[in-house]
Amino acid sequence: MAVGGRLRRPVERLAAGAPVPVFAITGPGTARAVQHLRLDHRLEVVDSPRHATVLLVAGPLPGPLAEPAARCHDALPHPRATVWWAAPDHVSARQVLPDAEPVAAGTQPAATVLRVHREVLAGSRPSEATVLPDEDPVAWRGVGPYGHGGRGMTGGHPFGRPLAERDGDLRDGLALDAVPVTFGPFLPALPAGLTLRAVLQGDVLQQVQVEAAGSSTGRVLPPAGPVGADWDAPGREASRAGASGRGAFDRVQHEPVPLAALETARARHHLGWLAEALRLAGLEALGLRALRLAATPDPDAVAADRLGRAVRRTGALTALGRGRAVLQRGQVAGRDLGPVARAAGVAEDRRAQHPAYRSLGFEPVVHRSGDTRARWEQRLAEIAQSLDLAARADRQVIGPGEPVEEPRGPGGARAATCRALLGLVGDLLTGAEWGEAVAALASLDLDPYAPAPARGTA
Amino acid sequence: MSPAGLLAAPLAVAVALGAGVWLVAVIDILVAGTVAGSRPGVGVAVLRPVRAAALRLLQRRTSTERPDWQAWALAPALLVGLGATMLTAVPLDRGVAVADVPHGVILLGAAAAMVIVPVFLAGWSPNSYLSLVGGYRMFAQALSYMIPLALVLIGAALPAESLAFGDVVADQQDLWNVVRMPLGLPVYLVAASGLAFWGPLSLPSGTDLSGGIDLEASSVHLAAWRFGQRAVLVGAAAVGAAAFLGGWAGPVLPGAVWTVLKTALLLAVLVAGRHLLARIRPERFVVLAWTVLMPAALVDIFATGAWLL
Repeated sequence: MAVGGRLRRPVERLAAGAPVPVFAITGPGTARAVQHLRLDHRLEVVDSPRHATVLLVAGPLPGPLAEPAARCHDALPHPRATVWWAAPDHVSARQVLPDAEPVAAGTQPAATVLRVHREVLAGSRPSEATVLPDEDPVAWRGVGPYGHGGRGMTGGHPFGRPLAERDGDLRDGLALDAVPVTFGPFLPALPAGLTLRAVLQGDVLQQVQVEAAGSSTGRVLPPAGPVGADWDAPGREASRAGASGRGAFDRVQHEPVPLAALETARARHHLGWLAEALRLAGLEALGLRALRLAATPDPDAVAADRLGRAVRRTGALTALGRGRAVLQRGQVAGRDLGPVARAAGVAEDRRAQHPAYRSLGFEPVVHRSGDTRARWEQRLAEIAQSLDLAARADRQVIGPGEPVEEPRGPGGARAATCRALLGLVGDLLTGAEWGEAVAALASLDLDPYAPAPARGTA
Repeated sequence: MSPAGLLAAPLAVAVALGAGVWLVAVIDILVAGTVAGSRPGVGVAVLRPVRAAALRLLQRRTSTERPDWQAWALAPALLVGLGATMLTAVPLDRGVAVADVPHGVILLGAAAAMVIVPVFLAGWSPNSYLSLVGGYRMFAQALSYMIPLALVLIGAALPAESLAFGDVVADQQDLWNVVRMPLGLPVYLVAASGLAFWGPLSLPSGTDLSGGIDLEASSVHLAAWRFGQRAVLVGAAAVGAAAFLGGWAGPVLPGAVWTVLKTALLLAVLVAGRHLLARIRPERFVVLAWTVLMPAALVDIFATGAWLL
């Protein structure tokens, strides 16, 4: 429905002041930058394209993600518009969404989002047409007594969609309807770029297969410039960092970086993770508090400590339960899994090998149980530890080639870390309920784009 | 009822419901801002829900692949209707109620039980998996909060020896039920959160389902659906104020003002719960409801009975 006639103008004027509902499609290396848009009062990052007026595409999209992106685009209600942040330079690469308004990589997109939103509401910019044909993936075939091609009332692929089929339940053997469903790659409950193919019974995952956008074999579009640094928030500091715009963990590969800067970046990374985990736990507002702290160049240890206590008071850790999505020591040891391994009691940390850290009395934080809750505890403890190290650091500097522990795992092993995590996910999620699976995935902090060739390298 | 009353009653309920839902939205913005550490000005908070609603009016609806349109369209209407029904049974002041029926508590129970229907319809009709999971989650949680909800309400009605909300409130003039039966209000608030699938019990529409039953709704449909959810919340808060906080009872101010203030207080508590408590897992809530909530409700009703003897 749309209001027309004499009422339209006043309603438009009222609506113009509302925060713009934006659905974000997060491309490679843009997760943090997109996350930080949540701090902008003029925008409201929504969970469904059907709730949005503007589609924000961030970064270049790997070839196989073009079609899912177009499907998201077509789910936006009219009037709608697209803004492509850090769009690929090649026009051919932008053909997926030809009407998208480009925004340069180094510019914040909020002003453009606001402008196209107002234009499209006022009618001065035409609402974008549907990109994909509105037709069934497969025609109705009329096979069998009910026409769907299955047995009895179940099975078959009417209109190309698999219908539920009787199958034993994993837990009690009760024969229930099992449905194959694909989620992602842009479902806000999952890490951006992750496709989850599952056979579900109710909300229990019976079989799980995951596919990361970065490891797909399809053509990868030419990379654009960095949207915002991966580890650092794209705040004022990041833009001052100048041409590279990259975080401390990217810089340390090429130049010496103060230990304090690395530890601050780690704390900020984990705070960003915490913000997303809190959002998924139903605590959006507290998540914003964590995000605001992650966006400060120099997060205050006292504020972080208070935040940690506030998180505990919400019962978020209790709600996760114990013994959920457990990773055993043997599964994680020696596989470059960083905090995920440490949460399972494996004291692997490159920092322990570095004299600068040893001079500060560094000992890796370790948790024992290896479940979802332990991974939360691990990161909360590492935030406090990193801020403490940063505060106590004198003038220690870490140079290129020296052992570095990144927030997700050992330096130089980003792709390996992601692949190792992806290899574990199938077993980890099988038999879990949906909510549990989402929490477990979030607790792994995986970047599905990591296995792709590093950005900026020829 | 006189012809004028026939016209005035639905209008009064509509105005009360609209004002209540707007109040929920404003409190929500202020509490969320406080928790996030960047509270907007009251002026901004007051206008934002209206602006957001206006924006929804300008959008056109989208459709999923082969939805059940009739059922989908019915869901928000039904939900708003149920919120309104709850509100009608609650007296604003002594003798001032839209329909202070003799069995108000039963009417409330019936309306609360019916909430499952629109929620499941909203989950089932869009033909979308995560919405469907949301619909089924409502069954799991409704089966768990329904009996405690009914028990504590009957407990509140026991001292008045009447099921009419007017009598329940009148009986609390000297001592409110929240004091007489301290377990009643906490159990009721948990059940009310479940009823409005709100906050820690927003299982059908949780962020882990990317919105669940809300996921596929758009435009006016989405606005109407969310209005309905908050209408149920307002209805539940008004009932809570009458059943446990003595409704219109209070010094100096007129009775109607007290009713509104107490309802607003319960709404603030429910909204604060949304931002201060993490969402619980469905199976965990089912266990908690049957092992903690239910015994607490039983103790509440038995203790009240014993006290009356």
